[in-house]
Amino acid sequence: MSMEIIHVDLDRSYPPRPTETTKIFWDAIAAGQFKTTRCTSCGKMTFPPKPICPHCWSDSMEWADLSGKGTLYSRTIIHAAPAIFAKEAPIHFGIIDLEEGIRIATRIWDMEPLDIGSPMRIVTLQYNDGPLFAARKA
Amino acid sequence: MTHRVAVMAVSATPVGKIQTPEDAELHTLEHEVMAKLVVEAMRDSGMDKKDVDSLVFAMCRPYTRQKYFSTFMASYLQLPCHGTVMEALGNGMTGGIALEQATRDVESGRAKVALALGVNFESQTPSGEHMNSSMRTTGDVDFHTIFGVTPIAWYAMDAMRYIHEYGSSRRELANVAVKSRYHASLNPIAQYRKPITLDEVMAQREIVEPLGLYEVPPRGDGAVCAVLCREDIAKASGRPYALIKGRGFYHEGAHQISEVPNDMIAFKSIQVASGKAYEQAGVKAGDMDFAELYAPCTIVEVLASEAMGLCERGKGGKDAESGATTLGGRIPISTSGGLMSRGHPAYVTPLYILHEVFQQLVGRAGERQVKDARLGAMSSELGNYNAALVQVLEAVR
Repeated sequence: MSMEIIHVDLDRSYPPRPTETTKIFWDAIAAGQFKTTRCTSCGKMTFPPKPICPHCWSDSMEWADLSGKGTLYSRTIIHAAPAIFAKEAPIHFGIIDLEEGIRIATRIWDMEPLDIGSPMRIVTLQYNDGPLFAARKA
Repeated sequence: MTHRVAVMAVSATPVGKIQTPEDAELHTLEHEVMAKLVVEAMRDSGMDKKDVDSLVFAMCRPYTRQKYFSTFMASYLQLPCHGTVMEALGNGMTGGIALEQATRDVESGRAKVALALGVNFESQTPSGEHMNSSMRTTGDVDFHTIFGVTPIAWYAMDAMRYIHEYGSSRRELANVAVKSRYHASLNPIAQYRKPITLDEVMAQREIVEPLGLYEVPPRGDGAVCAVLCREDIAKASGRPYALIKGRGFYHEGAHQISEVPNDMIAFKSIQVASGKAYEQAGVKAGDMDFAELYAPCTIVEVLASEAMGLCERGKGGKDAESGATTLGGRIPISTSGGLMSRGHPAYVTPLYILHEVFQQLVGRAGERQVKDARLGAMSSELGNYNAALVQVLEAVR
């Protein structure tokens, strides 16, 4: 299933640095796909994607699709932002529990207040210089 | 053989703006401030310079010029050492790690006397610029910092969750800021001493929803020197001291956020660390006469005091509202004024916490003295209380 792709007419303020592992993740985000690594030994998924399993320390990892669906665990609006992010402030930010049992923290795209416990979905943010992701109310 | 460890003296500068601008005619420099405090603390301790064998510094901020500050100071003070000369770094726990290492050196017999000390100068660096650096200390720089999240934003999310789970409110939590300021009004070294009302706290501009300016820590400069020694030497001196009776440490193996969903506001690290410290000291949470906590925001004091067993779960905000955590209440918390009002020169904040515990236990806290203070607990932490260090100290007079 493909995620919504939102075009943002800005360069990213503080872009992530892709590695051999995470480039696969960011390329997928750019294509509207949300995925992460799963351990072939213990079967657990991990996020962010990693070349090793943090749970059993195996180095045998594979890619698995995530549904991009989850629940809002908490949120905040950052009014006092770092100077690098001044042009994007205020920033809505939250913690999402994905239905696969993984907790992530990410930007919340819409500014209106959301109730904790709201169903959420992950979307792609396509900036001029590359992708990021965010969460919106499902 | 291990030794019991006593705190003999703690000297500290008032918290505030100490650092001078780069182009100042006359500078206030970190090593001179530090050296004067060492001399003052040592004089106050009655200890002998030749017995000092460890210098454990909280690392300086990158905003001071002298690097390798610890070995520089060993030279500046003409102090050969058999124990340790080092700088510790561990985010907000930095000064706590310095205290822990100095304690271990005395405990193990490596040093008869050890100094835990440090200077934190940062006031000449504007907040927006400082946040360009501090944003890289919390979370994953390639997966969290990319969104612009700041250190206190994580505490703000604790507050949102707590309000949601326990039917609390920003206003209830804001009582902590009012109480802190009242305590600070009685503390000559506090950065902000003018009493404030609940309405004034609520009226401040928002920093990170739901927290406004008075519910988050100010920035400031400070310096502290603590003198620790073997208890037999402390006893022989005939002076009052504070015995380090129990210590506990725990890191939950998560950096800011656990990727495996957990109860984020249970603050497991300080539950575990305080449990170990109470056990080693042979005491219970309810035995504490006061506690001085590392709590940068209103919500953090509430969660940490609940996790330490000083307040009931979900009742920390109500305890602040009712005055149970105010001087004269059931369990006075952060009688110094805490990080929000005493001030928060972050890398030495845990040593300021020790300073207040010491003042209370030797009966020198003046107007903010907790009556008959015999047992006190202190904490330091890093991340979103991902790790905690707790000490229980006892007055020996």
